[in-house]
Amino acid sequence: MDTLVEILRPEFILRDALVGSVLVGAVCPLVGVYFVLRRMIFLGVALPQLSAAGIAFAFVAYRLVVGPHEHGNVNERSLAMAGAVAFTLGGILVLAALERRGRETVEARIGVTYAVAAALTVLFLVADPHGDAQMVNLLKGDILATTSASLGVLAWAFGAVVVVLFAFRKEFLLVSFDRDLAVVFRKRVGLWDLLLYLAIGVTISLGVMTAGPLVTFGFLVVPPLTARLVTRRMLSFSLTAAGLGATAAFAGFYCAYRFDLPLGPTEVALASLALGAVTSATMIGQWMASPRSAT
Amino acid sequence: MPNELIRLHDVSVGYEGRAVLNHLGFAVEEGEFLALLGPNGAGKTTLLRGLLGLLPVLGGRIEYHFDRAATPPGYVPQRETLDPIFPLTALEVVLMGTYARLRPLRHAGRRERTRAAECLGQVGLDAVAARPFWSLSGGQKQRVLIARALASEPRLLLLDEPTAGVDPGAAAVIMDVLFRLNRDQALTAVLVTHQIRLVRPLAQAVIWVDGGTAIKGPTAEMLAPERILDVFGAPATG
Repeated sequence: MDTLVEILRPEFILRDALVGSVLVGAVCPLVGVYFVLRRMIFLGVALPQLSAAGIAFAFVAYRLVVGPHEHGNVNERSLAMAGAVAFTLGGILVLAALERRGRETVEARIGVTYAVAAALTVLFLVADPHGDAQMVNLLKGDILATTSASLGVLAWAFGAVVVVLFAFRKEFLLVSFDRDLAVVFRKRVGLWDLLLYLAIGVTISLGVMTAGPLVTFGFLVVPPLTARLVTRRMLSFSLTAAGLGATAAFAGFYCAYRFDLPLGPTEVALASLALGAVTSATMIGQWMASPRSAT
Repeated sequence: MPNELIRLHDVSVGYEGRAVLNHLGFAVEEGEFLALLGPNGAGKTTLLRGLLGLLPVLGGRIEYHFDRAATPPGYVPQRETLDPIFPLTALEVVLMGTYARLRPLRHAGRRERTRAAECLGQVGLDAVAARPFWSLSGGQKQRVLIARALASEPRLLLLDEPTAGVDPGAAAVIMDVLFRLNRDQALTAVLVTHQIRLVRPLAQAVIWVDGGTAIKGPTAEMLAPERILDVFGAPATG
């Protein structure tokens, strides 16, 4: 209880990290809802890795064109952001285009994307002799290193993503659920896809920079899968996923601080625990309701 | 002469630049109940998708004598094309039909909800509005999709095999709903089907799709027993 009171105090030393963590936990599932509905879950693995490759590429490109960059300043974060968004958005647009025209399976394309992105990340890091622990932290996402400035950027960008997702939820639902009907209604299907992908790209890029690929993927996928088991409507699906993600992030932060555990894995483990519990409860409920259980 | 809603002038439609149907030249008239029939793989759905604007016209031209942006056709897809992972109630599915007239940033309000509830009533499903769409029977789902098409307030309904995969009783209910909409509201209906027996008493005309083209004619002539025997090698049983 003392720990809970401590982390809720305004002067708590890791307050920015706690708020950042909860923001990632709440907003990633809102985007992840569309990953689940469009059956693009494995993109949630590939895109954060692509984002990491983008960050590494930005540093290498900067060194080659301008010169060595200074660690820890605002420009470094902007550079990382530009690389992450460019690679994530580029990747998602190419994969979306191939989905309509390509002949290989979706899994093959996503698998190749992940492998290439992971390899490029390492190669870009090796190519930058100034790459040190701080850059590696930025790449893998270190929530505890969140500063007031980076939290401000995160809050504004995620705020914009939430506004876009809710303001245009009617359009996103229509193009996701029945693309043909959207075309018959003469909606700008490509434009709505692009806007959704942009929201996804920004969320993943900032999520990776703040919390790393593992946590970003975990929150993109696990809370929406849990919420899908207990909701019957689109709006409640999105809100429940966001609520579950934020709760898992807060509880994960508490456990990590209280028991001195690594933060990201603790958060993802708690979110997965909730998925396991809800899945079990749903299966038991279905079994109890089935005619066979009555005999 | 009845008003034409759609007129095809020597139209070719197909996929990826390859024409599946050529030399299409007929009209869909206002208030008509039209069946699109033909053997499997002949191109019935291709023609329907061409009429909907979902496939590019590769040759000739299609004239629409109504404003497709203001009054889009009511489209009823095969229910198997929709993904059950979406958590939607029957009413939410029907509400999607009202999106045709809603601009971005405007969401379905009381007017749209009332309209959607009325449309569910027209297909006899008022009672299932709050139920999950995927928990409904095949026939009920199909009627919900017809209600969704009605919610866009169309002049023309285009249906892709609305009775496929449902039991005979449910198929008869669906056909009855379509017949009443056509008779009472003068709603033009064009439906793809394999079930000749179901449409024979209701359709005023038939578009027969076969051999890379399609021709339109009166039901009695197009569904004459000798013609069916010639195409299928057996009397119609569907």
